[in-house]
Amino acid sequence: MPPPRFPIPQGTLDMLILQILSLEPAHGYGIAQRLEQISHSVVQVNQGSLYPALHRLEQKGWLRAGWKQSETGREAKFYSLTPAGRRQLTVEKDSWARLSGAVNLIFEEGSR
Amino acid sequence: MSRFFNWFRRGSLERGLDRELQYHLDRRVADLTAAGIPEAEARRRVAMELGLVQVREEVRDVWLTRWLRDFLYDLRYSARSLRHNPGFTATVLLSLLLGIGAITAIYSLVDQVILHALPVREPERLVLVDWKGSEGVTYVTGSSNLMPYPICRELQQQTRLFDGVLCRAEIQVNLRAGGDPLPVAAEIVSGSYFSVLGVGPALGRIIEPEDDAAPGAGPVVVLSYDFWQAQLGGAADIIGSKVLIGNHPMTVVGVAAAGFRGVDVGAVPAFWMPTSMYAVANLDTGDEDLLNGHTRWLQILARLRSDVTVAQAQAGLQPWFKAWLQDSTLRPGFPRISADHRREYLATTLELTSAPQGHSVLRERLSQPLWLLFAATGVLLGLACLNVAGLFLARGSARGREIGTRLALGASRGRIGRQLLADSLLLAVAGGVLGAAVAPLAIRGLIAFLPHELAANALRATLSVRLLAFAFFVSIAAGLLSGLAPSLRAGGDGLVSSLRERGGTGFGGVRLRKAIVTLQVAFSLILLIGAALFLRTLTGLVAKGPGFETSGLLSFTIAPTQNGYSDGDASRLVRRLDEQVRALPAARSAATARFAVLTDGHISNYVTIQTDRRTVSDGFVNFNAVSPGFFSTLGVRLLAGRDFDQRDSRPPGEAGPHSAIVNQAFVKRYLSGRNPLGVLIAKGGSSNVKPNSPIVGVVADMSYRGVRDQSEQVFFPLFNFDDTGATFYIKVRGAPEQAIPSIRSLVRQNDPRLPILWIRTLDDQVNRSLSTERLLAALSGSFGALALLLSLIGIYGVMSFVVTRRTREIGIRVALGATRASALRLVLRDAVTMISGGVALALPCVAALGKLVQSQLFGVTATDPATIAAAAMVLAAGALAAAFVPAWRASNVSPTDALRLD
Repeated sequence: MPPPRFPIPQGTLDMLILQILSLEPAHGYGIAQRLEQISHSVVQVNQGSLYPALHRLEQKGWLRAGWKQSETGREAKFYSLTPAGRRQLTVEKDSWARLSGAVNLIFEEGSR
Repeated sequence: MSRFFNWFRRGSLERGLDRELQYHLDRRVADLTAAGIPEAEARRRVAMELGLVQVREEVRDVWLTRWLRDFLYDLRYSARSLRHNPGFTATVLLSLLLGIGAITAIYSLVDQVILHALPVREPERLVLVDWKGSEGVTYVTGSSNLMPYPICRELQQQTRLFDGVLCRAEIQVNLRAGGDPLPVAAEIVSGSYFSVLGVGPALGRIIEPEDDAAPGAGPVVVLSYDFWQAQLGGAADIIGSKVLIGNHPMTVVGVAAAGFRGVDVGAVPAFWMPTSMYAVANLDTGDEDLLNGHTRWLQILARLRSDVTVAQAQAGLQPWFKAWLQDSTLRPGFPRISADHRREYLATTLELTSAPQGHSVLRERLSQPLWLLFAATGVLLGLACLNVAGLFLARGSARGREIGTRLALGASRGRIGRQLLADSLLLAVAGGVLGAAVAPLAIRGLIAFLPHELAANALRATLSVRLLAFAFFVSIAAGLLSGLAPSLRAGGDGLVSSLRERGGTGFGGVRLRKAIVTLQVAFSLILLIGAALFLRTLTGLVAKGPGFETSGLLSFTIAPTQNGYSDGDASRLVRRLDEQVRALPAARSAATARFAVLTDGHISNYVTIQTDRRTVSDGFVNFNAVSPGFFSTLGVRLLAGRDFDQRDSRPPGEAGPHSAIVNQAFVKRYLSGRNPLGVLIAKGGSSNVKPNSPIVGVVADMSYRGVRDQSEQVFFPLFNFDDTGATFYIKVRGAPEQAIPSIRSLVRQNDPRLPILWIRTLDDQVNRSLSTERLLAALSGSFGALALLLSLIGIYGVMSFVVTRRTREIGIRVALGATRASALRLVLRDAVTMISGGVALALPCVAALGKLVQSQLFGVTATDPATIAAAAMVLAAGALAAAFVPAWRASNVSPTDALRLD
């Protein structure tokens, strides 16, 4: 029995998508799979929320999308990061680091 | 905004999403079946985890936010339903088109004449510097806000308040650039002018401070771009060439930036020249040293420093100005004045007003009429909106069952209200587009009404971005206004009652519709009264006339000093022409005046009157100088005494008393109850003036500045006066136009290079002088007629509706023995209530608005009871007639038909 997976924290889905796409362009299904792989199957992504998120990021100008041949030979919609998206990723990583750092600090304070 | 465009490509977006999701599904199913799950089971599971319907909706919300999507669907629904209702749609569109088109056209003129800031750097920091309270002391010439040059020069030192100060005056000169001399308007400006405004050259250079350093220092001109293009074909080799102003050679050093037409909206200067060259400009002020003297001949505009407010600058100037005033009384040329006068003079102040639009004669003349017309079109648009609201309510009634059904199926009131609002917004924007499309035509019509020499060059009948923005804003506002009442009403009657109603009658809103009609009656009465007042003004002025016989009368003007004549030569030319014109075979009689009448130009001053005691007039009196026979040529009656004759003429320069003729108004105001003949008077009000001109005649009142003008006037004999320019009046035999060639050749024989200014019939001049009145009367008249039509349609509509609803009741009444007359009365009572309610609303508004229009009226007060009563009668009669048709129909209802209606 695999350990129970916890749902992805609110608001972090966008950041994870940007992170995945910063490595290489991918289509929706690929992103869903990679999300699971990267997070060692501990994070569960509600697949239904992936596509609205992708379209939202595209609308904001952080992603660019285009139809290309996928690894199976069929046409798939591939997303890639725009320069604006790359900047946004740094911003989000930064604020995430500060948030988790702060939370850690509080925990250590409490355990001492 | 980019989302908005998604609406138009939603088809391809949907297809893309379908493909994308299909790819995901297929891959996932393939992966699961590879893991050994049966395909049917895999498909079921994938569909569950993805939640396709939900995903689609959420993605659509990303493309277009929810409200936008709903709104766009509403618009589509509205467009469809309006297409199916062409009669309704056309009526609404026509109402809105009229309302929006009219207000847009008037706004275009308001914007161009009043609101538009000058095309210069940071126009909002410009202020006009004006000298308040000194009219009696210093000699003022020409138009308003004039200042002496020394103040301008010294203001330039106030660098802690201003980033720069400029002064300018409008001049009329003859410019000769190659061909014949052209009479043109131009500006004479300080060397700081262009740099303070921040306007650069299109070619060559602009006027610089060095050009203005000392009298005669800068014989240069900068041409305006328009003049350069229109008259010189935009020739690039114009720089460095010589032109003649009068007969002074000047060098063209540059062409100003395109689009810059000086600081006076309405004037189109041909060129600019530095104030150092004032001698060339022939300003006709009589002051030999304009750069140091007391004559006020320029307007001053200053650019505030960015950290200084208007009030701070004004306060900051006063200490310096106090000292300057003290100082100026000691300078040579300052008039000897009484101690009282002196105290008044020293108490005068400088006043600063924000002037991002520059200084404009056209604006002074037109701003009030334009604001009035703007307000009138606003009321008209309000009326159109009310009409549309009424139509919507009527349509809402017809759609009562549909709306009731939608409510029953769970639609919220707000949702249905929004749908109705979408209807009205869509129609309003369509009306706005149509209105903007017809606006240029309407603007061209408006400009044709205005005096040609004022408006034709300065105003344009084109659509600007500002104008389109205005039309769009007005359309949206109109849509909201006309849609608001109906959409608030939507479903207000309650579900059960609206479904229970029999087909056809629908739900009520009768009270709201009556309120709307009452308002319409009030609005249109206001417009009707305005129209009546302006019509009476115009007819009154036409009936009054200028006080002289215009038919067969022709006039022309020459200004020889503008062409380089010395005063003596000019005077001799005028005398020679006067004699020659009298001798023309076509001339029945002829005479000459120093200043033309009916052109708004004038010379005025106080008059000192010596009877048994010495008095000074309490206001300005207008002066003119005329040759013998002037009054008989114009047909002005001589009431007492005699006309001027050869005895009164005196060679120029020879001193001594000369005689004067005054008009009836002067006698009435200053010499009432005594014999005016022999009373001594003189021009000017200061203590050193010696009244030594005996009054030898009294003439009937005649117009001087314009037809409206009913001023006190004093005439001196022409040849005793500075007769350096003149207007000749000729009473011709036969058609005046036929005399024009002989006049032209006469002037050409004397000097082929002297241009004739304004050769016109007096009929034409009277017409021009009344152009503003005609504009107001024609426009307010057509607005009034439109308003009447709109409100009659409104009354008819609501009465028909009421009658339809009450058919049954009336049928029962008639069946029970009521007479037809009583049925008629029953219905008409409603109409009378609305009409009298509207009149009661309108009257206080008319009283309040009266003050605003009073100055535009003539011979009638704004609250003239007869006019108001007549307008109210016309409106009431029309409205009753409109109500009578449905009432008559109701009274003819046969009881059996009415009862069977159910």
